[in-house]
Amino acid sequence: MTVLLLLAGGGFGAGVFGSLLGLGGGILIVPLLTFGFGLDFRAAVGVSLVCVIVTSSAAAGVYLERHLANLRLGMLLEVFTASGALIGGLIAFLLPDRVLAGLFALLLVYTAVTMLRRRATSAGGASPSIENPDDAAGAAGAAQAPGPFRAALAGPGYRPVRLGAGIGGSVFAGVVSALLGVGGGIVKVPLMHLVMRVPLKVATATSNLMIGVTASASAIVYLLRDGINPLVAGPTAVGVFAGAMVGSRVAQRIDVRLLRLLFVAVLALTAVQMTLRALG
Amino acid sequence: MTAPMTASGARSAGTAASRSARVDRSIARILRAGTLVSIGLLAVGVALLAIAGGSPLERTLPGLDPARIPADILALRPEGFLWLGLLATLATPLLRVAASVVGFLGAGERRMAGLGVAVLIVIALAVVIAQGPAA
Repeated sequence: MTVLLLLAGGGFGAGVFGSLLGLGGGILIVPLLTFGFGLDFRAAVGVSLVCVIVTSSAAAGVYLERHLANLRLGMLLEVFTASGALIGGLIAFLLPDRVLAGLFALLLVYTAVTMLRRRATSAGGASPSIENPDDAAGAAGAAQAPGPFRAALAGPGYRPVRLGAGIGGSVFAGVVSALLGVGGGIVKVPLMHLVMRVPLKVATATSNLMIGVTASASAIVYLLRDGINPLVAGPTAVGVFAGAMVGSRVAQRIDVRLLRLLFVAVLALTAVQMTLRALG
Repeated sequence: MTAPMTASGARSAGTAASRSARVDRSIARILRAGTLVSIGLLAVGVALLAIAGGSPLERTLPGLDPARIPADILALRPEGFLWLGLLATLATPLLRVAASVVGFLGAGERRMAGLGVAVLIVIALAVVIAQGPAA
């Protein structure tokens, strides 16, 4: 009973923090389950993928109703994220635990650096205008004659460019998601926003929409290879869902700047622990 | 610089936008319903697990056997609800893709529908490959 409550409580905390900081819960759930509950890395990834699907499905519905997510762009890219996730899911069963832990440590460092840079950008005033169609890449995109397919991917005030890079990056995002049990938004959002010139809000919403399908592709591999324990996944997923609901309701009333700094410190500490685990 | 739009062009753009909004709304409903069903099933499973007592980390379950789920649910065993909840969780995004395919076909957007079919093929491949022998 205590362990059950701790799993649900841990999931709840991951859901609240993930929602407040704009992250999927995966980056928190995997360390929670490996260090807190002694699960092996692959078992933690399997549970994390289930949690990621739950939060993605819940949020994606809201994003679609508000017409923030670009369904067509999402459909194109998720063919490739799902393919990457299938490949990653198969690779995950070939790699030793220590290699996966090492890769996760790298992801933690990357996430911490990204969050610090985001903080520096918001402190420094307006971010570079990457939605301005007159800038260099916007002009490059506009110079390409938009075929009917490319035009179908456009949204109000923007047209995605560099589809090839977007497709390649999507495969990579899928592999990362499947190997490490995260949604892959940390790859997809910058990819869509900075490379494909999609507005940040649309990129975030579209990434969220894609996460469910991406994680499902790899979760199926984990499930059919006995890589998901429902007794652990159940309470954790219910906790994450409840936490994400609470987080999204209090997000407007909380100053997340301090929280973000604290979170970066936690990520750094976890990265050290993961590195130690990887080194055996 | 945008070219001036004819009245029929504006009408057809408006129709396409409203069709697209309709597809978005129906998919959003599917996602919401799927999430509620999945979480509901998982929550019932967790409640039954709490009543049964013991640590979930100390129990081992046999792998997924869909044929056993109905009997487990009728017997109010937690694993039945948890397995079904997991399956519903994994199926929700796929239902969203299937609904998108239907929506795009209805709107005459065959290429977009084709992309949805491609996603479903990748998922089907995942099922087939995952059932093969692990290295």
